[in-house]
Amino acid sequence: MPRTVEFTDTEFMIAQGARLIEDGKTIFVGWGIPQVVAMLAQKLYVPNVTQLFEFGAIGPQPILPFVRGTMGGPQNTFRSLQWLNMNWAFSYSATGYMDYGMLGALQVDPYGNINSTFLGGSFEKPERRFAGSGGGNQVASQCWKTIIVIRHEGRRFVPKVDFLTSPGYLDGPGARERAGLPRGTGPHRVVTSKALFGFDETSRRMTLLGVLRGLTVDEVVRDMAFPPLLGKEIAEIAPPTGDELRVLREEIDPDRNILRGERMTATA
Amino acid sequence: MEYRFTHPDDFRAHVRDRKGRSPGPRLLSAREAVETFVAEGDYIVYDFSSLTRGPQALIREVIRQRKKELWIGAEFTLHESPLLVGAGCATRIDVGFLGYGNYIGQAVASGRVKVYEWTNGGLALRVLAGARGVPFLPTRDLLGTDNMKVSAAREIRDPYTGDPVCLVPALNPDVAFLHVHQADVTGNARIFGTNLFALEAALASFRVIVSAEEIVEPDEFRKDPMRTTIPHFLVDAVVHAPFGAYPGAMPARYEIDLAHVDRLNAIRTDLQMREYLDEYIYSVADHEEFLDRKVGAKRLQELKRRATIVEGYR
Repeated sequence: MPRTVEFTDTEFMIAQGARLIEDGKTIFVGWGIPQVVAMLAQKLYVPNVTQLFEFGAIGPQPILPFVRGTMGGPQNTFRSLQWLNMNWAFSYSATGYMDYGMLGALQVDPYGNINSTFLGGSFEKPERRFAGSGGGNQVASQCWKTIIVIRHEGRRFVPKVDFLTSPGYLDGPGARERAGLPRGTGPHRVVTSKALFGFDETSRRMTLLGVLRGLTVDEVVRDMAFPPLLGKEIAEIAPPTGDELRVLREEIDPDRNILRGERMTATA
Repeated sequence: MEYRFTHPDDFRAHVRDRKGRSPGPRLLSAREAVETFVAEGDYIVYDFSSLTRGPQALIREVIRQRKKELWIGAEFTLHESPLLVGAGCATRIDVGFLGYGNYIGQAVASGRVKVYEWTNGGLALRVLAGARGVPFLPTRDLLGTDNMKVSAAREIRDPYTGDPVCLVPALNPDVAFLHVHQADVTGNARIFGTNLFALEAALASFRVIVSAEEIVEPDEFRKDPMRTTIPHFLVDAVVHAPFGAYPGAMPARYEIDLAHVDRLNAIRTDLQMREYLDEYIYSVADHEEFLDRKVGAKRLQELKRRATIVEGYR
């Protein structure tokens, strides 16, 4: 008999992000949820991944549980290969050593351009001001493949971002290279709390690749403020596994500071 | 677009004429150091983040002395920027990362503080340019984004490849604050763990204030030179400030006081800001009284006990 699994949309987002990370590769990890995704991946799937952080932790194996807000604390830099600083950290991405970058976002547009600076109003008079780039601009500019992790809320998927903080494919094919960004780089996947997107090789537009098991394509795309392209086959993405949920709930975030979210169910 | 800039020759002249070379004692109280070396209108950078090895004792002293019109290079700033803006000290911020949005967001929207978007990597590169004595450095990020419109980063044609490239101007701050694990009284300093741009900031800044958890003998540095982060002749003042990163953590020494950080994060209104500043900064004479009356020995001991990860830090 099929078993039903209960989880939050945040747990699903983190779990499916963790499954995308390749063992034996390098990944430049952004602040917040990406840290948690990388922790889960390292614990369950990719023991030989090399994580890298902008504050100069090269190859750490962050210790669980996750300490909220931390960037550069001893938990975060635990068992690194090397301790450096920011100018050296970005040297690793600038020279092409970082296979993946992983970033959160406030808003994302069809070309994978990221806004993390403000929502509404203008730059001088923002309705809601946020942190800004941090090192996200460098990560999105320099890593070979950028993975964007973003909650699946329609208002976050917009035809044009309020502020272009970190570059996706800008305004289409070839635009990154024309702007002077490193050749052959760009957004690779958008991991959400309901679905997975990639980018069309030709048009560079966001393309739906998969949806959480039990959801329809319409349920996933109808409240997005732009229609994504649809992949030839839309995969069904399994909900969080027992192992993923156990590690997330017991080892990474026992106080439930980050795992909260919309409650969901799916067939295991 | 407004930006802070110093001609490299003007900075070199300052170093020639105004920076001490001899390893004399430079130990001052935080009050003396800030009174002497921080002026109205100064540009300040600091290392590392709000929650890890930030120079919080020095920041609180700046607020206590009500320094005005400051311009802040804010890389990993979470609560310093709101406090410095809320206290009327900072009016311009180069971002970086401007954390904990509500209070600071209102301050941006109301025009109380002007912000420029350089990004973390862009700011770090500006400080590196300042430290290398060059007027700018090129980089292959920022390009194609709106950060170029709200900073003085420029796109030019690279004469070697013919491709567009971004230039950021050197940053030579007036003052760098560096909180370190160990220093001697002359200014030699050691940081254990990672940093943002500690050495670059010390080289690039007109004045450098080091605050240290521990004061050690000068000879310690000569016995183990690989561990020296900053040599004494870059440093203008040394402040002995145990728990100087509180409420943030000092790696391998003490942990974050998350309850106090939450108190800071909860500030939404000017009234709440005023209450925090009165309670924790204006009502005490100095860092020692702050620790003694507002935190307490018991709490500090508990934060020390929680710092169980010591591997790699010496």
